[in-house]
Amino acid sequence: MKVIIVGGGKVVYFLAKVFISKGYQPVIIDQDKDECLWLSQELKAVVLNGDGSRPVLLEEAGAREAIAVLAVTPRDQDNLVVCQLASKMFEVERTLALVNDPENQEVFHRLGVSVAFSTTHIMATLIEQQAGLEEVVNLLPVAQGKMTVTEVLLHQGLPSVGRSMQELDMPSGSLIGAIIRGDKVTVPRGPDRLQDGDRLLLISTPESYGPALRCLMGKEV
Amino acid sequence: MGICRQTTKRRQVNRVMAKSLFIVVVGCGRLGSLLANGLSGQGHSVVVIDRRAEAFDDLSAEFSGFKVVGDAVESETLRKARAADADCLIAAAEEDNVNLMVAQVAKDVFQVKWVIARVAEPARELAYRQLNIETVSPTSLAGDYVLRSLAQDK
Amino acid sequence: MKDQKILVVDDEKNIRLSLSQALAPLGWPVETAVNGEEALGKLDDQSILLIILDLRMPGMDGIEVLRRVSELRPDIRVIIVTAYGTVERAVEAMKLGAVDFIQKPFSPEQIRDLTQQVLARDQLNEDKAADYQTHLELAKKAVGERNFKGALSHAQKAIALDPYRAEAFNLVGCLHEVLHQREDAIKNYRMAYEADPSYAPARENLDRLTSHGGRGPISWESAGKQRKDDK
Repeated sequence: MKVIIVGGGKVVYFLAKVFISKGYQPVIIDQDKDECLWLSQELKAVVLNGDGSRPVLLEEAGAREAIAVLAVTPRDQDNLVVCQLASKMFEVERTLALVNDPENQEVFHRLGVSVAFSTTHIMATLIEQQAGLEEVVNLLPVAQGKMTVTEVLLHQGLPSVGRSMQELDMPSGSLIGAIIRGDKVTVPRGPDRLQDGDRLLLISTPESYGPALRCLMGKEV
Repeated sequence: MGICRQTTKRRQVNRVMAKSLFIVVVGCGRLGSLLANGLSGQGHSVVVIDRRAEAFDDLSAEFSGFKVVGDAVESETLRKARAADADCLIAAAEEDNVNLMVAQVAKDVFQVKWVIARVAEPARELAYRQLNIETVSPTSLAGDYVLRSLAQDK
Repeated sequence: MKDQKILVVDDEKNIRLSLSQALAPLGWPVETAVNGEEALGKLDDQSILLIILDLRMPGMDGIEVLRRVSELRPDIRVIIVTAYGTVERAVEAMKLGAVDFIQKPFSPEQIRDLTQQVLARDQLNEDKAADYQTHLELAKKAVGERNFKGALSHAQKAIALDPYRAEAFNLVGCLHEVLHQREDAIKNYRMAYEADPSYAPARENLDRLTSHGGRGPISWESAGKQRKDDK
């Protein structure tokens, strides 16, 4: 399954490695010739040297068969165009863009990019979790950055589904504030079991956020 | 000079100036400065945006609009230029992608009714034209012109 | 009217042109000055009734120009041109009789409307004042005459007529600051904010006075800035 990554630098290398380990075939498009040479040596991946925001390069990279296109250049405008061309011209189902200006995150969503990240860290972590981005939304920093509130959507296959709250063993510094099931909201108690389709309100400190997500959604690679 | 007479005068004045548009031009390079000078000369109210203040040196001595220094890809810059009140926004930066992004943000977020983007690369221009973005490609225009001229000569 | 002139003071040629062209249809001759010194040199001309002044200029600072104008020709009204963002030094400007601001970029219509509004103030009849807007204008007229107590009185009458609009509260707040009455200023900025949370000048003034240090420029309504809900 082909995934196209447009951009350069360590991020691209890291992402490509993660995808390879999961059985995907990453195709990289990078404008820096030296980086391309290095990437093609280090990775078992196809590397194209050029501007990924040009239709001809996306075509050459096989955008038509790609299941996802990730745009991680340092420029928001390039990332936007890559994703839009991928989805509108090549009908790629999932497009993900890195945004530098946090305001552009909302803008990108409005303009049809499936997901827009404002940091690569979040992107990398979530890909590790094998979670699609739609499952983790609404990250709200509250209490002057001391806590975050996240809505997590559970689906079949996750380690937390079917377990009771007691069995979960959430890391300290995190807790599940509420479970939204259908149109009912409950404050979870020990014996309550998590189900496929549940939306959890996860409250955690920034440090516990990663471990808490892993606890709910899967082990780290 | 009573207040009544003032109001009437204001209505008359505004009718005369009705055709003057509020236009934002993004980019003060070759195309941007040409447009800014031309539009200002035609009596429109023009705001030019460019990342570099030196770019404004290309504006003519008769330019009577406003200059905003900043990266138009950042919404804050478009706010500084009061894009929300623009009748028209022309994205004429040197980079296609900047123009494509700014054009869409102007249309979608700032609700500018009339937006034009300069997109040099023909393949990109075609793709975006199909998305209802009004684009103009200097490359295509020049290419078409030459091809037509040669065809006529045959 | 032919004998009365408007003086535009701005170091940027495009702004001088923009203003001259915008004001031309109003019929008042427009003179320009490229800096403070040139502007002050023209003050002997008794026919100048209004100065449109950019605060930020190299060389003699706009506030200094305003101070001299205020001393030598207190009869001249002043509209201040500001850049994007909070109005700088608005409290100093208000102490010197300037209460009208326009933010760049502005449309020709906006500067025309503001100019006419400012010049119409002299004709306002105190006895016939009945509505919110007129009292607000009279308050501003009083500021122009450095009659801050009178300005307060009119602004408060405006509030009494419509306590749900932010502008008069903000003006009262600014006046309290001019009169060194900080607590009353904060109270009124707060009421402006409650009346209309989207009214940026009040919010900025409140933040400035209630944040650590409590220093910073007074924020004032600028004619050139459109509020989202006005569109």
